[in-house]
Amino acid sequence: MAVENPKYIHPLDRHLRTDRIPTMYCPGCGIGIALGAMFRAIDKRTREGLLDPDKIVWVGGIGCSARATLYVNYDAAHVLHGRAISFATGVVLANPSLQVIVIGGDGDIAGIGGNHLVHAAKRNIDMIVVMITNFVYAMTGGQVAPTTPLGVKTTTTPRGNPEPPLNVIKLLASLNANYVARASTTTPHYIESFFYKALGIKGFRFIEVVSTCPEIYGRHIGLRDPVEMYNELKKRIKYKQKPTIEEADISWETGIVIGEFVERNMPSYLELLGKVRVE
Amino acid sequence: MVLNLSVIRDPYSVISREHEKVRVSVIINRCKECGLCIAVCPTKVLVKSTIENTYGFHPPEPAYIEKCIGCRLCEYNCPDFAIFVEKVE
Amino acid sequence: MKKTFTSGNIAVAEGAITAGLKFYAGYPITPSSEIMEYLAEKLPRLGGVVIQMEDEIASINAIIGASWAGVKSMTATSGPGFSLMAEAIGLAVITETPIVVVNVMRAGPSTGVPTKTSQSDVLQARWLAHGDYIVPCYVPWSVQEAYDLTIKAFNTAELLRTPVIVLSDAVIAHLWEPLVIYDEGEVPIINRKIPKTGEKVIPYKPDPDLIPPMPIFGRGFKAIVESLVHDERGYYAPRDESYKSLVSRLHIKILKRLDYVFDYETYYCSNECEYMLVSYGSTARIAYVAMLELRKRGFKVCMLRLKTLWPLDSEKISKSCNASRIIVLENNMGKVYMDIERIFKDREVYPAPLLSLELPSLREVIEVINTWL
Repeated sequence: MAVENPKYIHPLDRHLRTDRIPTMYCPGCGIGIALGAMFRAIDKRTREGLLDPDKIVWVGGIGCSARATLYVNYDAAHVLHGRAISFATGVVLANPSLQVIVIGGDGDIAGIGGNHLVHAAKRNIDMIVVMITNFVYAMTGGQVAPTTPLGVKTTTTPRGNPEPPLNVIKLLASLNANYVARASTTTPHYIESFFYKALGIKGFRFIEVVSTCPEIYGRHIGLRDPVEMYNELKKRIKYKQKPTIEEADISWETGIVIGEFVERNMPSYLELLGKVRVE
Repeated sequence: MVLNLSVIRDPYSVISREHEKVRVSVIINRCKECGLCIAVCPTKVLVKSTIENTYGFHPPEPAYIEKCIGCRLCEYNCPDFAIFVEKVE
Repeated sequence: MKKTFTSGNIAVAEGAITAGLKFYAGYPITPSSEIMEYLAEKLPRLGGVVIQMEDEIASINAIIGASWAGVKSMTATSGPGFSLMAEAIGLAVITETPIVVVNVMRAGPSTGVPTKTSQSDVLQARWLAHGDYIVPCYVPWSVQEAYDLTIKAFNTAELLRTPVIVLSDAVIAHLWEPLVIYDEGEVPIINRKIPKTGEKVIPYKPDPDLIPPMPIFGRGFKAIVESLVHDERGYYAPRDESYKSLVSRLHIKILKRLDYVFDYETYYCSNECEYMLVSYGSTARIAYVAMLELRKRGFKVCMLRLKTLWPLDSEKISKSCNASRIIVLENNMGKVYMDIERIFKDREVYPAPLLSLELPSLREVIEVINTWL
């Protein structure tokens, strides 16, 4: 529905291109919940005077999560599959005053974009990466992803996934990132508080958001109803104050620990280059 | 209180109920009937209405507004920016 | 201006600096690594940033990002790296991002001979990525031209909001010749159009010259860099009218300025010519000498040297000379020959594929040409 001068009704409408709402997301998709939480964190930081909305740039690759860049009322880039982090590296190095947020799914960021993720974390480059994990390639219909648990039947593993999953938190904890956290769409206030914290520190900040995906992943594991999948996921989410890396395993049987796994204060790439971000 | 069955096309039309402390509003044509707000509400304020929006979904209505404690769990857990809670001045 | 003695690779780097380069992301690959090494030393002192990325894919995506952040950016690579950059060239085309990509051609296919030359990437330079588009491509034949055409590449990119390819090769890269480096103000530099701050921006709405002003990040324009086919607002538009108008505008905006983009040189063209040699890049150096030798032997030979490889101006080329026999000399299996034959459809056009790891000797070239004389 294209509207010339959109009215702002919902308190977060300022952050949205309201002429493109409703979004293309399925009913019960967690991406909208994560976006809302991020907008609230941005609001708080803007009110504190620490963030200029004109300097925020959203970068996304390809996939449902990366499509969030189409809906945000900021400078946004919808680029190639897996290459959002490289694009974002160029943006932040060319103009260090910009606050770059990379948003994408687990397939986009940790699959095809895995190499770029590893190097960005190693460099401790100044950006926030929000990876929304739904354990499957949803936009293309439900193919197996690097994070799909062992044994799950997807469209390309009809006899069950023979590969153990990749644990992105454990991978990044071994690199040089300044902030690595995991939240879940069943606990949006943690997404907001982690993102709020990330907006205030430098270096490479990574937040994994475990999300429901009732239409695609829910279909694979027998939880097609949005409320049912939400409740099942919520049962397995456990918040811990200072979780260790060993507790970062994702398992549908033993549970998923959320929290801030890594908090460091290593010099960021811009600091090492001698260019400090101009606030 | 249940509204009549009707199709509403205006992108900004809202179902709104309030009591002396809070007002809960549902933007009718953004709702995708996922049911999360109804499920997370701790005091069961929301029920599915019989209104059908432009896309064929039935948005919730805050039928039991007097029970609302203003926790905003519905607003935080809505994936579609379709429900919000305001303080009544 | 300053006169110095340097190599083709350094000339490309200096040309970029003169044009206003401020961001370089690259990956080392023979024979182009010197460009990055020279810039890594010099560019930070001029306020720019040089970063060695983890691969060529990251390099080209980073320079597209930097261009959208408002600075002029470039990367340099060779054949294998160029193949990796395919998808991102398409991204730069559809998002109308000004970038310069230098491909220092080397012998292929695949790893080939990293330290020796060829001209076999000419069709890749034309159509590396999937999809329908035109990417301007310049091909220097000397160190001075490597400098001049790099500046022209930046100007073309900024003027027409398009990626531009500079096709050097292993011979030009490591050749040492005198070079004149211009100071600020001595050579025209073009910068992209940017909307005025504060005005409402429709990101892909073209001006009368078919090129929209570029709403760079950080100024409140709410730019959308969209890789999907989009309408003027930058919104996904999977409809016939939007697709047709976008793809045709991307072509026509370049063809409209063919007068600026297309550059060539002719030598000894006159009404008396019987044979014309067509060549480009490093092979043109030996073709020129061959032409002089043949003229000494009494043959009425002239030469056309392409400085712009793509897009070709068929009219200017066909009117350049009325020689009846045309011989296309190139260091590949006969690629630009196909277009020259198409352009000179009423004359005899012969290919001269001179496969050679270094410049072929004069004797070899004369032998090949003699078969057609």
